[in-house]
Amino acid sequence: MASSKYDVIVIGGGHNGLVNAAYLARAGKKVVVLERRYVLGGAAVTEEVFPGFKFSVCSYVVSLLRPEIIRDLDLPRHGLEILPLDGTFTPMPNGDYLWRVNDHGKTHREIARHSKLDAEAYDEFGKAMQAMCRFVKPILSMVPPDPATLNPRELMKLLFIGRRFQGMTSEDKYNQVQLMTMSAVDFLDQWFETDVLKATMSASGIIGTFLGVRSPGTAYVLLHHYMGEIDGAFRSWGFARGGTGAISNSIADAAREAGAEIRTEAPIAKIIVKNGKAKGVVLNNGDEIYANVVSSSIDPRQTFINLMDSGNVPDEFLEEVRRFKFRGSSGKVNLALDGLPNFKCMPGVGAHLRGAMSISPSVEYMERAYDDAKYGNFSRRPYIDMVIPTLTDPSVAPPGKHIMSCFVQYAPYKLRPGLNWDDQKEAFGNNVIDTIAEYAPNIKNLILHKQVVTPLDLEREFGLSEGNIFQGELSLEQLFFLRPVPGWAQYRTPVKNLYMCGSATHPGGGIMGANGRLAALEILKDIKGAA
Amino acid sequence: MADKRDVVIIGGGHNGLVTAFYLAKAGFKPLVLERRAQLGGAAITDEFYPGFRCSTLAHAAGPIRPDIVRDMQLEKNGLKLITPEVGVTALSPDGRAMVLYNDAKRAAQEISGFSQRDAAKYPEFQASLAKMGKVLAGALALAPPNIDDPSKADLWGMLQTGRAVRKLGKKDMYRLLRWGPMAVADLVAEFFETELLRATIAARGIFGTFLGPWSAGSSLVLLIRAAGDSHPAGSAHFAAGGMGAVTQAMTAAAKAAGAEIRSGVEVIEVRVKDGAATSVVLSTGEEITAKAIISNADPKRTLLKLVDPTHLAPDFVLKLQHYRMPGTVAKVNLALSGLPSFTALKGGNTDALGGRIHIGPEIDYLERAFDQSKYGSFSAHPYLEIAIPSISDPSLAPAGKHVMSVYVQYAPYKLKGSNWESQRVPLGDTVVKTIAQYAPNLPSLIVSHQIITPQDLEDTYGLTGGHIFHGELSLDQFFTMRPLLDWARYRTPIQKLYLCGSGTHPGAGLTGGSGANAAREILKDLKK
Repeated sequence: MASSKYDVIVIGGGHNGLVNAAYLARAGKKVVVLERRYVLGGAAVTEEVFPGFKFSVCSYVVSLLRPEIIRDLDLPRHGLEILPLDGTFTPMPNGDYLWRVNDHGKTHREIARHSKLDAEAYDEFGKAMQAMCRFVKPILSMVPPDPATLNPRELMKLLFIGRRFQGMTSEDKYNQVQLMTMSAVDFLDQWFETDVLKATMSASGIIGTFLGVRSPGTAYVLLHHYMGEIDGAFRSWGFARGGTGAISNSIADAAREAGAEIRTEAPIAKIIVKNGKAKGVVLNNGDEIYANVVSSSIDPRQTFINLMDSGNVPDEFLEEVRRFKFRGSSGKVNLALDGLPNFKCMPGVGAHLRGAMSISPSVEYMERAYDDAKYGNFSRRPYIDMVIPTLTDPSVAPPGKHIMSCFVQYAPYKLRPGLNWDDQKEAFGNNVIDTIAEYAPNIKNLILHKQVVTPLDLEREFGLSEGNIFQGELSLEQLFFLRPVPGWAQYRTPVKNLYMCGSATHPGGGIMGANGRLAALEILKDIKGAA
Repeated sequence: MADKRDVVIIGGGHNGLVTAFYLAKAGFKPLVLERRAQLGGAAITDEFYPGFRCSTLAHAAGPIRPDIVRDMQLEKNGLKLITPEVGVTALSPDGRAMVLYNDAKRAAQEISGFSQRDAAKYPEFQASLAKMGKVLAGALALAPPNIDDPSKADLWGMLQTGRAVRKLGKKDMYRLLRWGPMAVADLVAEFFETELLRATIAARGIFGTFLGPWSAGSSLVLLIRAAGDSHPAGSAHFAAGGMGAVTQAMTAAAKAAGAEIRSGVEVIEVRVKDGAATSVVLSTGEEITAKAIISNADPKRTLLKLVDPTHLAPDFVLKLQHYRMPGTVAKVNLALSGLPSFTALKGGNTDALGGRIHIGPEIDYLERAFDQSKYGSFSAHPYLEIAIPSISDPSLAPAGKHVMSVYVQYAPYKLKGSNWESQRVPLGDTVVKTIAQYAPNLPSLIVSHQIITPQDLEDTYGLTGGHIFHGELSLDQFFTMRPLLDWARYRTPIQKLYLCGSGTHPGAGLTGGSGANAAREILKDLKK
């Protein structure tokens, strides 16, 4: 029996687990990261699924990675290079399109083609959203307060938020409150009249949630995605050179340099708990590893229900974990292509293929896609967000070949009775391709290989319960001090020495790394306090 | 020569009357001006067919806030409230019925016929709602605080609310925080497994709103309702003589306190001079000047129609235009030659029909009904809330005959590719057909009917957008944001012009809360 002792065991080698490990190792702790799969990155992973084609299998764009993490871990030195992704192109069934790019003048002219009023409003909207982002951003880097205690430190945090809110202009307050409570479409309705513009913009409000664009709370998710920042520029999105896995690899590299040990193909069977304290883990192969602290970057269902004996966790807490909503709503179709798609509304190869291409032609289209999912069907005509990373970074495919990455919503984890994802997988993939073909008919002739990732695959392969890409829905009742369990939003758990550091914690999903960092800082505080 | 008054109240709905009463009691001489010949706004009783009287719109009270009932001595002023033992009877297409008595034990016993587990959970849910409802009731009775510059009274109010929230204890406090923004479908699923029970409780979170049970935030509506009545599915609060009797008693109370009330007079303009309201102009040309003008009409009607918008900042006008009030409810009233026999109540349990009757047996049923309204059609299989008030109050119909009052949801104000004039009859048919699935002999009993579409709600009853609550009750239009952030304290950007209707906090339902809160705030200004 192999046995060794660490300061900290980090469960899961996704980006948050790696960030967590890197910060702990830099503080001088002896850290080991245990990853179940053969490859690091969790959902931020690059895999050569077909020879020569390196897919960003799950997450495919980056924007929210916290600048302080990039700085602290010196990620560019460890190989991180973000290549900007420019624009969103929305083909329409009537042969028209909407194409927004980072060039302000161009976008203004383009929107004006649809509506002069909207072109003016778009500028105003951008400014208003920036003000909102400035308000919310510090909250992303903040350990949520516990409003149920009378601890002055916690109350100061609430006061801090209150003061910042007070400090905003009346106009910004109005917008902020609306953003926190409204539906994406209701919010956008106040600014714009062009349907396709509202539809495409509202799409970022539903990603990773089981909500429709008209459901209250989606305006916040819109903001969450708007906050993206690369090199100080708000709202910019990019690819990592070498695929999304390159981000994880650069973090892993930084962690290793700081002294962390990282093991792949090390699946965990159980978290060892004795007298209410986490002591270590047992691997599938029977090895036991001990540590003073166990930090779990996997979701709470995996952590507390699958990897622990129920007697080790208070019933009340377990009940809250059970009702934490995952219900994944999206899937992924990754295509290896022999050439480039040719859109009917904008034939030929052009800059529009370099950015995001969005199948979101109308608000009603988006809403109907949701209606299908509510009753347990994948959307007959889904929302699809597509990118062709090979146009920016040819290194991920053989010369002359391309990769198209298609994010698809809705694909409800729970299908209606009688259906299961293994049987539906093929139909789901074909449906996505049929949908794309309505706008770019040549797509069908270009496909060399196709990888379909269903919510069930996300659960089985990537350990995301119910296939939720954010380790739990980003809905208002699961945010901030309510994430993942009310009263347990500060990365600690009722089990002593056991911490959470994944996307299921504040500030939620996306490749941000904030969760891993904040958890590391809290762990360090506790270790210091105990010493 | 303009008539001169100290306070003019535009609109004699229940909130206008409550405000009038409190102002009169404080020594002012309010004049209430009601456009229609009949007072009462949406709380009225009409003889819609010879011998048959029915609550034309609202058929049950919210319930009315107890302090208002007391202060206005409504019972002394002629109001007889009826609270049947059965709150709600939910009908299931499989021919079963779930009779939810107000008595929690009896309700649980009924539920145990469907699920033992749910029967056990029901009292717990009710207890939690009661605890939170108590806290909320405190907040609902407050004027929302001024966010920018809270006054001492605001801070005191917030402190009291804060204390009440803390007193809940950690578990219920977090529940309150978590439940508010939730979809009501999720909330009921956390407690119950029986679909019929889930749907019946969830209905309370969507009634009158443009939300389906899966819409986030629908739990908030349920919680607001629980503030007045913690029965999970709600109870039935009727009045002898129909809802018109409520506003008649309020009218009597207001008059007795010294208010003057005129009906059949339409205010067509609120005149503004130097940023302050000075007078109202009637359709007859008569002008009445006043020290203060209070509008019981909805915020849009008041500020965008009665006031010349040039007196308002463009920014404010824009925000108010965005205030959401898309109506989703229609009303069908039936005169019946006898009591319909419901398949589920073969034994002839008439008691079960004495409360509210719920049709909408599954969450998915309710959600599908909502789906259609999103695309501009009324629901083919609507969610119905039915009352047969003549059971507890036989005076409403000739001997042995009955009236049936039906709320129909969803009936969107804006129809796609059609209009309400052409859809009126199809809507009525759909309602009768839907009820007939549960009470097959209904069609043969119909003597007469009255169909009130959202368009009628706007045209006849003055509800902009046909919205029965003067605006959506949602997180973004609640508390300090009702109707707009910075303008939730019954005042408007126009000095001396106030709001007191359901478009102000706490809004929603026949509780009188808005009218009473408004009166208290307005009195502060009047007494200066």
